[in-house]
Amino acid sequence: MSLLEVSHMSRRFGGLVAVNDVSLSVQEGEIFGLIGPNGAGKTTLFNLITGLTSPSSGNLHYQGQDITRLPPFRIAALGLARTFQNIRLFGNLSALENIRIAHHIHTKTGVWAGVLGLPAARAEQVGVERQAWALLERVGLQGRAFERAKNLSYGDQRRLEIARALALRPKVLLLDEPAAGMNSAEKATLSGFIRQVRGEFGLTIILIEHHVPLVMGLCDRIAVLNFGQMIALGSPQKVANDPAVIEAYLGVET
Amino acid sequence: MEAFFQTYGFLLVYMCLQALLGLSTYLPLMAGQLSLASSGFYAIGGYVAAILSTQVFHTSGAYPIGYLLLETLLAGLLSGVVAVVVGIPALRLRGIYLALATIAMVEILRVVSLNLSITGGAVGIFGIAQPFSSPLGYMWLVGPLLLLVMFFAYRLEGSRIGRAFIALREDELAADAMGINPTYHKVLAFALGAMLAGVVGAISAHFLNTWNARQGTFDVSIAVLAYVLIGGSRSFAGPVLGGMVLTALPEVLRPLKDLRFIVDGLLLMLAAIYLPQGLANPNWLARRKTAPVREKT
Ligand SMILES: Nc1ncnc2c1ncn2[C@@H]1O[C@H](COP(=O)(O)OP(=O)(O)O)[C@@H](O)[C@H]1O
Ligand SMILES: [Mg+2]
Repeated sequence: MSLLEVSHMSRRFGGLVAVNDVSLSVQEGEIFGLIGPNGAGKTTLFNLITGLTSPSSGNLHYQGQDITRLPPFRIAALGLARTFQNIRLFGNLSALENIRIAHHIHTKTGVWAGVLGLPAARAEQVGVERQAWALLERVGLQGRAFERAKNLSYGDQRRLEIARALALRPKVLLLDEPAAGMNSAEKATLSGFIRQVRGEFGLTIILIEHHVPLVMGLCDRIAVLNFGQMIALGSPQKVANDPAVIEAYLGVET
Repeated sequence: MEAFFQTYGFLLVYMCLQALLGLSTYLPLMAGQLSLASSGFYAIGGYVAAILSTQVFHTSGAYPIGYLLLETLLAGLLSGVVAVVVGIPALRLRGIYLALATIAMVEILRVVSLNLSITGGAVGIFGIAQPFSSPLGYMWLVGPLLLLVMFFAYRLEGSRIGRAFIALREDELAADAMGINPTYHKVLAFALGAMLAGVVGAISAHFLNTWNARQGTFDVSIAVLAYVLIGGSRSFAGPVLGGMVLTALPEVLRPLKDLRFIVDGLLLMLAAIYLPQGLANPNWLARRKTAPVREKT
């Protein structure tokens, strides 16, 4: 059975159909690529999956459970974590604090236990601290821990956002253009990093990316969106040779 | 020294009460919620104390502190319950719309209290019993309360729930996507602020000896908001500093006679222009925190 099942999902914005009757299923452990020209509806599909946008029609199942109408925080708690195309870190807070915050669902200290510093709360705090530092280290940002997120370089912000998502200990990690704005050396590093964290954290990854070599080299399967519709789905080779995809990307009339 | 406390006893207690009101507006603001409802809950708390002490607890001589504490407890609880009931629909609104909704709540409470007989109508309730022999006596109650609430706010800022509040303030959508329930935490922050305002109202009713519909008005909301904005909205020290300074300022400037209102206003404007982060700016402290290199664990 597939881990995540998108069935006939659509989302309209006024007259525009940003996502048009898309169905796909993501298998456990795979790196699933989502590509398509600008405005094709990729980010909107991510927003539908993570509950930030409600669908006009269609259904979403995760591990067999219907999550179509769940609010974002519940979907996150079920194990789907994401990054944003236009990075949404907590900019005024330190890198470390950004990661501490993302431990929310795995901790349970209430108002009074936290304020009074009861033993259970303190123990939890120690655990969060250890894990937060480990994650910062994993993405190579331990030296920038106390820097405000908004003062980090663009590449560091992208890495911090991935670390923040990993703090949720997700099953599915959704990355919205994680390589945007990186040079080719950084892209290669990122590609290796994504492959590694999949193994380390036992993740299923859904990835939106424009950079074709990166997607082709990294993904097990790729879906292509164009004007909200899925026009191709399959292995990188199959998709790359699909006439509809070539047309969508090159704008050739057939 | 004695003479100083005699003269300024009232002012000192009043400064602490206003600092507490500032904190009651700071709590929802910590979760990014601009609420002007503090004065409404302050009014509710005041009426709870005024009604209980004049009509329910009949005493003679100095009013027992135990009764006063019981009143503050009930005032806090009632305010908290009202906050949850009002907050669940109101906190769907954002920014300026939430502010407007909370102003409407304050107005409704004012009109209701003007027209009920239990709240004494337009006259209000007067002759509220005194637990202390002088205004300064209230410091025994208000001083520790202020310290406790400051400790509470300080510890909250570094705790799990406080972090969730701050995440919501920074970016509600991102916080939601990180598993933080926005409604729950916003209502919680709003209710904590309301409970505090209710407690302050209950103490203030005794302290001011009388309570009426002019106590919890829109003007009070604005004044309290100024404490937070002038003092600083990024740490608990801001509203405390703001509440104290803005309450003391007109008294300090008293020798200037009528000129003092102009000077008072000018100082506020200068503070707003040159210290937009407020008097208590956590960045000044933060610099210290970045310096030491932390051991890897
Ligand atoms: N909240 C919104 N309101 C109106 N239109 C939107 C909204 N979000 C996305 N769109 C539109 O939907 C289309 C798809 O956008 P998007 O999903 O961001 O594309 P992609 O990520 O593939 O570049 C675009 O035409 C965009 O303008
Ligand atoms: Mg996009």
